Amino acid sequence: MKKILVANRGEIALRIMRTIRKMGIKSVAVFSEADRNMPHVLFADEAVCLGPAPSSQSYLNGDKIIAFCKELGVDGIHPGYGFLSENAAFAQKVTDAGITFIGPSPYAMRIMGSKLAAKESVKKYNIPMVPGIDTAIEDVNLAVEIANKIGYPVLIKASAGGGGKGMRVVEKADDMQEQMERAISEAKSSFGDGSVFIEKYVTSPRHIEIQVLADNFGNTVHLFERECSVQRRHQKVVEESPSSVVSDEMRQRMGEAAVLVAKSCNYTSTGTVEFLVDDKLNFYFLEMNTRLQVEHPVTEMITGLDLVEEQIKIARGEKLSFTQDDLRINGHALELRVYAEDPLNNFLPSIGTLTTYQKPQGEGIRVDDGYEEGMTIPIYYDPMIAKLVTHDEDRTKAIQKMLQAIKDYKIEGLTTTMPFGTFVFEHEAFISGKFDTHFVKNYYTPEKIKEKQKANAEIAAIVALKYHLELQKQLTPLENKTTSWKRRLAH
Amino acid sequence: MAEVKKEFRVKSGGYDFAFDSKDIRSKDIIRKADDELHILHNNRSVMVRLLDTDAAGKKIKLEVDGERFEVEINDSLDLMLEQMGYSAASSKHIKEIKAPMPGMVINVAVTEGQEVKEGDRILILEAMKMENSIIIHADAKIKRVAVKAGQPVDKGQVLVELE
Repeated sequence: MKKILVANRGEIALRIMRTIRKMGIKSVAVFSEADRNMPHVLFADEAVCLGPAPSSQSYLNGDKIIAFCKELGVDGIHPGYGFLSENAAFAQKVTDAGITFIGPSPYAMRIMGSKLAAKESVKKYNIPMVPGIDTAIEDVNLAVEIANKIGYPVLIKASAGGGGKGMRVVEKADDMQEQMERAISEAKSSFGDGSVFIEKYVTSPRHIEIQVLADNFGNTVHLFERECSVQRRHQKVVEESPSSVVSDEMRQRMGEAAVLVAKSCNYTSTGTVEFLVDDKLNFYFLEMNTRLQVEHPVTEMITGLDLVEEQIKIARGEKLSFTQDDLRINGHALELRVYAEDPLNNFLPSIGTLTTYQKPQGEGIRVDDGYEEGMTIPIYYDPMIAKLVTHDEDRTKAIQKMLQAIKDYKIEGLTTTMPFGTFVFEHEAFISGKFDTHFVKNYYTPEKIKEKQKANAEIAAIVALKYHLELQKQLTPLENKTTSWKRRLAH
Repeated sequence: MAEVKKEFRVKSGGYDFAFDSKDIRSKDIIRKADDELHILHNNRSVMVRLLDTDAAGKKIKLEVDGERFEVEINDSLDLMLEQMGYSAASSKHIKEIKAPMPGMVINVAVTEGQEVKEGDRILILEAMKMENSIIIHADAKIKRVAVKAGQPVDKGQVLVELE
C-alpha cells in the first residue's frame, strides 16, 4: 500500500495518519465544510472536501469517498471508528472497487454487526449469554409480554446499535411505549435499521472487553482486557487495562472465549469482544465490535503494540509477528475521555470555543486529540475533544499520574468531563476497584464537584482580594496614570 | 497604622463572597514569587498562581489546584452603583421553554392553544446523535410554538411560549 485514505475526522483520523506516516505511506484526509481547519486536514499529505457539515452529507457518503480514492490513486481505506467503520455494504463496495478495506471482511462485519446474527454465530461455541429474546421486534405489546417474562428492568437494544445509541433501560411496563419509540427512531436515524431486541438488564454489571487481533492465516490472539465500567448514558468515559477484578485464570478464560467468538466469523484485523461481568464474576458475551475502538490506546500502552500498524500489516497480507505466548501485560494504563459536556448539568453537550487549550506532557502521558486552541467544537459530531491516557508501573501510580495530568490540562471556553474524571479517580469505589456500570448512579452527584469548586473559588477570591489590597497600597498616582489598562503578569 | 475596615463583594467561579479588609489581613498567605502565592486555608495547603490582572487589581485571573478562576472585586462604591442599576431595570416575566443545549428539532408534539399536562412531551431535540425528549414540568397552555421540525436551535433559544 502506497496511499491510504482515512474516512474519519478529529482525533482518530489524526492518530491513524501518524502511524501511516511512520510506515512511509502517504495519507489522504477527508473533511466536511465545517472541518476545513481541523488538524487532521492540516496533517495529511492530501485532503478532499466531502460536502456540507451534517455527516449524512459528508463523512457517511461512501460513494463519494470511493470516487475520490479512484481519482487520487488510493489503495487502502481506514475507516476509524463510528461513521462507516462498521458498514458492511461500504466495506464490500470498497473491496469491489479494488481498494483494500483496512478492517475485517464484509462477511464478519455483517454477522457481528447484527447483535442477533452474532448470538446465532457464537451459539455452537458454548459462550455464555444474557437471557433475552433473539429476534427483532417492533410491537410494544409483545415487548411488554416478553419483559414480564424475563422480569424488569429490561434493556431495549438496537440490533445494529453501538455507543449507547438506540439503547434504553425500561424499569416498568408504563415506560415501554415511549422508550421503544425512541429506541426504534434512534436506531433508524443512526444506523438505518430500526430493529430492536430485548434482554434482561443485569444488575451490578461490569463492562469488560477483550481486544483481539487476527491475521489472514488463521492466527488469532487476544491483547487482554479493558475495564470500561465507568459510563454515563451507557457511554464509556473512563477505561483501564488491566481490570482490577480479572485474575490471570479469568483473563485466560475470557481471552479464549473472545478468540472463539472471533474465529466463529473468520474474523481478521482488530476487533473487540464485549462481555458483561456480574457481581459473582460470571461473564456473558454481549457483542463484538468490528472496528478499532475509541479506547484502544490503553491496550497499546500495556502491550507496546501500535494497533493501527498491526491493522495495516494484516490488511496488506502479513502474518502476525508474535504469538499469544509472546504477549505480556506491562504496567497499568488509564484513559479519560474528555468530552465537551457539562458534568454539573446532566452531561449535556457544552458547545463552544476552546479559548485556552494546553495539553499535559510527560513520560507515560498520552493525549489523542483533534482540536487546537481557538477552534470551535461543532454540533454535528460526537462531542469528544480528546482522550487523556496515562501509563505507569502499577494502578496506583497510573491514577496519581492521571490526577496530575488533569490538573495540567488547561481547557477554557467550555465545560468538559475533566472535573468528573477527577471525581472518579479520587473516589474510594474506583480506587478499591469495587464498582460497576452504575458508578455514576450510585456515587455521583454534581454537588460533590460543586463543593470542591466552591472551596477553590473561595481561595481564589481571598487571594485575589489580598492581592488587590496590596496593589492598592503600592499604587502611586504616577503608576495609576499608565496608559496600559492591563498589566500582564509573567506566566 | 490604623486602617478603616472596607467591605467587598468578590465574584469567583460563579459564587459571590463577602469579605471585609480585616478578614483578609487575618489570612495566612505568603508570597512565593511575583506570580505565586501560598495560602493555608481550613488546613489546606494550596499554591495559587496569578495569571492576569487589570491595572486596578479588580479583575484578576488565577489558578487554584489546577482550576482557573476569573475573580471580580467590587468595593462598597461599586456595590452602590450596581444596586442603583438593578433597581432601574424593569422585571419582565415570560414563561417559556428554552433549549437546554444546541441541537436539531426532530419533531414538535404540541400546537398553539393546546393544553398540556405535566410530563407531556413538547418536542424531541437531537444533539450529538442522541434524541432527547423535552418534557414540560407543569400543566400549561401553549401560547406559541417558536420552532419547527428540522430546525437547528442554539442553547437557550425559546422553543415554546406558555400562557
